[in-house]
Amino acid sequence: MTNSNPIISLDEVSKWYGNVVAVNDVSLEVSQGITGLLGPNGAGKTTVMHMMAGLAAPSSGTVEVLGQSPRGDHTIYSKIGIMSEHEAVYGFYTGRSFVELAAKLYGIDPIGPAVDKAIERVGLVAAQGRKLGTYSRGMRQRMRLAATLVNDPELLILDEPLNGTDPRQRLEFHDLMRSLAAEGKSILISSHILEEVETLADRHLLMVSGKLAAAGDFRAIREELDQQPHRILIECAEPRAMASALVQSEAVDSVSVEEDGSIMVLSRKVSVLQRLVPKAAAERAIRLMRVEPLDESLESVFSYVVER
Amino acid sequence: MGPILALSLRQLGGRWRLSITILLAALPVVIASIVRLAGADIEDHFAPDILDRMVITAILPIVTMTLATASFGNEMEDKTLSYLVLRPVPRYHLVLPKMLATVIIAGPILAISGIALVLIVGEGGAQMAVAVGIGLFVGVAAYSAIFTWAGLITPYALPYALVYVFLWEGIVGGFLPAVRYLSVRGHSLAMMYGVDGTGFDRYEDLAIEFPAAIIGATIVIVGFFWLTIRRLRNMDVP
Repeated sequence: MTNSNPIISLDEVSKWYGNVVAVNDVSLEVSQGITGLLGPNGAGKTTVMHMMAGLAAPSSGTVEVLGQSPRGDHTIYSKIGIMSEHEAVYGFYTGRSFVELAAKLYGIDPIGPAVDKAIERVGLVAAQGRKLGTYSRGMRQRMRLAATLVNDPELLILDEPLNGTDPRQRLEFHDLMRSLAAEGKSILISSHILEEVETLADRHLLMVSGKLAAAGDFRAIREELDQQPHRILIECAEPRAMASALVQSEAVDSVSVEEDGSIMVLSRKVSVLQRLVPKAAAERAIRLMRVEPLDESLESVFSYVVER
Repeated sequence: MGPILALSLRQLGGRWRLSITILLAALPVVIASIVRLAGADIEDHFAPDILDRMVITAILPIVTMTLATASFGNEMEDKTLSYLVLRPVPRYHLVLPKMLATVIIAGPILAISGIALVLIVGEGGAQMAVAVGIGLFVGVAAYSAIFTWAGLITPYALPYALVYVFLWEGIVGGFLPAVRYLSVRGHSLAMMYGVDGTGFDRYEDLAIEFPAAIIGATIVIVGFFWLTIRRLRNMDVP
């Protein structure tokens, strides 16, 4: 994982709170373009982003953003736009005054055009005069994004920016990110939902249990993930007969009958198995009570990657 | 610094905090008014005693701690502090307005209360009123510095602040005269005595030397201001 000109680099970074290790020996580089930081909840994404943002100091290792440590020199924030995962806002401010506050703190003068442009980019011109306390969750997120964009930063670090947004807002967000990337900005976006950034990011970083599990082009990672055998739970009237029918199929890696009579199937070809199970049950007149995939969560996918 | 001061005043000037401040500040005025209206014999040292035992020992620290512990404490709790620290502004530009907001809200209210008390009781003139105003403002500024810092180092700043005021300022300071050099109450009393020695002759045994009070209060304010900046630079922001 090397890049001649990384925008962000972490070198053997760990972060622990007392006995809890939040981030464990992570080395990574973020280069120009859009990078997705993926991982289930609790994977350490926010802690990594906090260290990149200078909000938290690493317990060990070094963090560099735009060639310098993000802690100790406040001037670095004139070049970075950071949106934390916390959605709290000053509810008594209007959307516009919230963005104006950010513009003033960035030292922008005059603030009017910059504020207008930022609010326009997130599509909240009509609602800018309303108090933030009256905004929906998605609107709040977009106005927070406007405050992050107001200084036209060269690097954007966005922690779960799509939380609370609806599908249409997500599409608009994707368009906005692409246009910002086309302007030459570097963008790091975190998400615990694979599909949210799958098509958006040029490069992905996968985190699980505080470690960097994989990094690179998404297709390569996806292919690797597809090698993971899925677990399917089956409950039926005659588990042993059903298990012996399934074990003969190429779609099945292994079958076991559990103590409670349920069947646990491991399969890499779930779509074949989906057709096979009802067919086998019908041929043998076995009543099916339940067929449930157990590995649909992102957590299990990431667990596979980190344990492989 | 202006935008952060405006934001802080808005955050701290909420209805319930302002109500508590005004209600507590009104207490000595109400008591003085009742005594005056009842036509009771007012002793010579009525106003200095009320100022010391009620205003400086209790109302001043309670009002200031309620405001100052919240100035960073609330932003830590609701996770909005990152909106300020992630901007390219020096850390003292964040800390100074936070401390000033408490002084701007609590200072005038408490000073007016103290001055009104003195005038209602009718013990002193303009010099005594000036002495009260200065003494209380210094107390507010010193407590503001201490409790703003406390709000940044612990989510339990308010109970800790209460224990500190009760033990250090109230009990220990009463028994050990040396503690008055390191006590906000000691500084406030010395300021009043220093400005109007006649009006506040009651404080002759309590007050430390005027220059020592000026230096002591300056050390407390500047010291905790510096500690708060240092804390803000080094802490992990939620």
